Amino acid sequence: MTLISRSRRKDRIVLTVAGAVLLLVVPVAALAGVRFTYTLRTVTAGGLFLGAISGSIGSFAVLRKQSLLGDALSHAALPGVGIAFLIAGRQLGALLVGAAAVSLMGVWFISLVTRMTRIKQDTAMGIVLTGWFAVGIGILTFIQQRPDASQSGLDSFIFGQAAAIVRQDVQLLAVVSVVMVVILILNWKEFKLVTFDPEFAKANGYRIGVFTALILGLVVTAVVMGLQLAGVVLMVGMLIGPGIAARQWTDRLEHMVLLAGIIGAIAGSTGAIVSSLDTDLPTGPMIILVNSAVVAISLLFAPGRGVVQDLLRRRDDRKRFAGGGQG
Amino acid sequence: MIQLERGLIWVVTRFVDGDVLNAFLRNAEHTAILIGAFIAIAGGMLGTFLLLRGMALTSDAISHTVLLGIVVAFMVMVKLGGEPDLSSPWLLLGGAVAGVGTVVLTEVVHRSGLVQQDAALGLVFPFFFALAIIFVSRYVDDVHMDTDAVMVGEIGIAWANTNSHTYGDFEEVVITPDDPRAEITRQCINCREEGISPRDPRAEFVEICTNCGVYSPAAAYQAGFTDVEPEVIFWPKSLTVTFVLMVATALFVLLFYKELKLSTFDPGLAKTLGFRPTLLLYALMTLVSLVAVGAFDAVGSILVIAFFITPAATAYLLTDRLSVMLVLSGGIGTAGAWFGYRLAQGRIFGGWDTSISASMVVMMLLFFIAAFLVSPRYGVVSGVFRRIRQKVHFEEQVLLGHIDHHTDTAEAEQELTVATLPLHVQWSPSKVRKVYGRLLRRALVGTDEAGLTYLTDKGREQIRTFL
Repeated sequence: MTLISRSRRKDRIVLTVAGAVLLLVVPVAALAGVRFTYTLRTVTAGGLFLGAISGSIGSFAVLRKQSLLGDALSHAALPGVGIAFLIAGRQLGALLVGAAAVSLMGVWFISLVTRMTRIKQDTAMGIVLTGWFAVGIGILTFIQQRPDASQSGLDSFIFGQAAAIVRQDVQLLAVVSVVMVVILILNWKEFKLVTFDPEFAKANGYRIGVFTALILGLVVTAVVMGLQLAGVVLMVGMLIGPGIAARQWTDRLEHMVLLAGIIGAIAGSTGAIVSSLDTDLPTGPMIILVNSAVVAISLLFAPGRGVVQDLLRRRDDRKRFAGGGQG
Repeated sequence: MIQLERGLIWVVTRFVDGDVLNAFLRNAEHTAILIGAFIAIAGGMLGTFLLLRGMALTSDAISHTVLLGIVVAFMVMVKLGGEPDLSSPWLLLGGAVAGVGTVVLTEVVHRSGLVQQDAALGLVFPFFFALAIIFVSRYVDDVHMDTDAVMVGEIGIAWANTNSHTYGDFEEVVITPDDPRAEITRQCINCREEGISPRDPRAEFVEICTNCGVYSPAAAYQAGFTDVEPEVIFWPKSLTVTFVLMVATALFVLLFYKELKLSTFDPGLAKTLGFRPTLLLYALMTLVSLVAVGAFDAVGSILVIAFFITPAATAYLLTDRLSVMLVLSGGIGTAGAWFGYRLAQGRIFGGWDTSISASMVVMMLLFFIAAFLVSPRYGVVSGVFRRIRQKVHFEEQVLLGHIDHHTDTAEAEQELTVATLPLHVQWSPSKVRKVYGRLLRRALVGTDEAGLTYLTDKGREQIRTFL
């Protein structure tokens, strides 16, 4: 009993500190002399929402041992962007829907190949990642050869381009975040079961197919939303970094998801602000660097699990052993 | 690398005339397909081992992180006053270090016991890649390391990026200040500082030679130092790098075939027998990194993953033998390069006129899908056919077995008439008629004058092999 209450108290402290850091990011930056122009405000808000979404949803990918699925999905989205552009033109909504549909096709192909042949999941992911990406490059090249120049900006889906984010995009992001949070809360129990013990869930009559697909759908949404900011390569870092960091601090799913969301938001906003300090600092990579720093700190110093504490404990054990049990 | 290239050209010119070789290499198609095939053969062999070891996505991580090594090596070389290009051996080295570093760091993170293997990979490579992108956009301005090069490479124009080599008896021309052909001018060294004209008596002069130096035979001809026009081979740089990597990979696989095989399928035994599987693993990873760097110029950092994984996976659906799989994956990759070029030219589908490297990968994906569907052993369609065949075979054996079991027994009268068979094998009459008809056509069974079915000699033979 005391153990549980102690771990709860620890979680509460960690969450409070993380929340405080998140709230302090913008004021501290403003005090340090950063000028929040329209562009920076938009990009910071975009980074914040995206980090929160991808961090919290990514926690499920980490726990389901599908960390690299995000990487496959982000690459596989590219043909969808191209096809949607050919049909609907440059509307963010259409591009995102196209990207999501085509990534889901990739997921379907991965599961088809792993189910029906002896090829393992990682290989199937590699095939889809590159194959879909190549088709996407083909379509984008085709679009670029067309006479009208309206395709500018499609490249930003490959590398991510924070400057391309406008206020409407942030509004869309905010709406999607709210919808995702609602979906998470409504299906919380099922998500938890499907993530930790799908066999048990199945035996108890939960339709795990539906909930697995729903989680996958959320992951795809997060990936697709993030493409514009982080690009296809770095998206996987935004997705799983916060989840892995959060996992080190807590053992409870709800705290992990919440903390991962906060860490993602901190990394997203901080990365955006830092990258505005100089013209040559790209936003997506800066977010990943902040993210990596948080992950490194968590792996090293998290109480109970961290590497440093582990080393100290081992040293103590050695000493006690050498001291013949008197220490 | 240049010496290797000279050697290579020397060998090639033993067999082919210089002009013919130049004409061949100047054709974008030949060069692109050759480079694609070299990468595919090297990648296919390495990919086979990656796939069998369950490390397919390590190639994904490495192909991205070598960028960091390339960029850092590039920056160091620029700092030291060099003029690096992407086929420089130092960049290869930098890339290899970064690639192996990725594997090591992933292993360290994973060993901490806090993070899954794939998650560790997913942490390390975006971090390295992010660093690389920041370095590129901050410190590297004037290179052709633009976004397209990173993504899809420039295999289509690889033919144009050449080193020129002379062959035959032409020598370099060295011009020294003593040479009669040297052009000497006098330059005033203190005119500007003192603000005096060169005619001023206080002016001091030095003599400098404006055209001294070492001239390659071609440059010497151009500068008019010699009347003999040298014959020059324009040799695409990527060709050498990819060829050398292919040969190195093939040698590695041939020399260490036994060790690789053992440590892939049974690492525990390999270790017990003293084969040092870890060392072998890092050798493999070094080669993967080198191929990723060597291919970077031609196909970019994402598409190269397909050259590792997709042909190997296709071959994996076609064979169970490691040696066959190694050859097949190279062959499939080469076919992918060949047909991919045609696809990119719009010669296969009209209207699909696009990036060459991407088309090669699309072609490999199509090959994979084809094998996935119709591979004789593991394909989906052939699986369906196999199940049908098995079902048919099983039905026949059941009927044959039934007849065999009851022939010459007391209950033969009830069991063995065509009319009563359905009752006893518990099938519908129509199914029995169908199966019986098949057996009759193959002369495995017959009906005697009493209306009882019996097995022919051939039928008894059949049932014996089944039982």
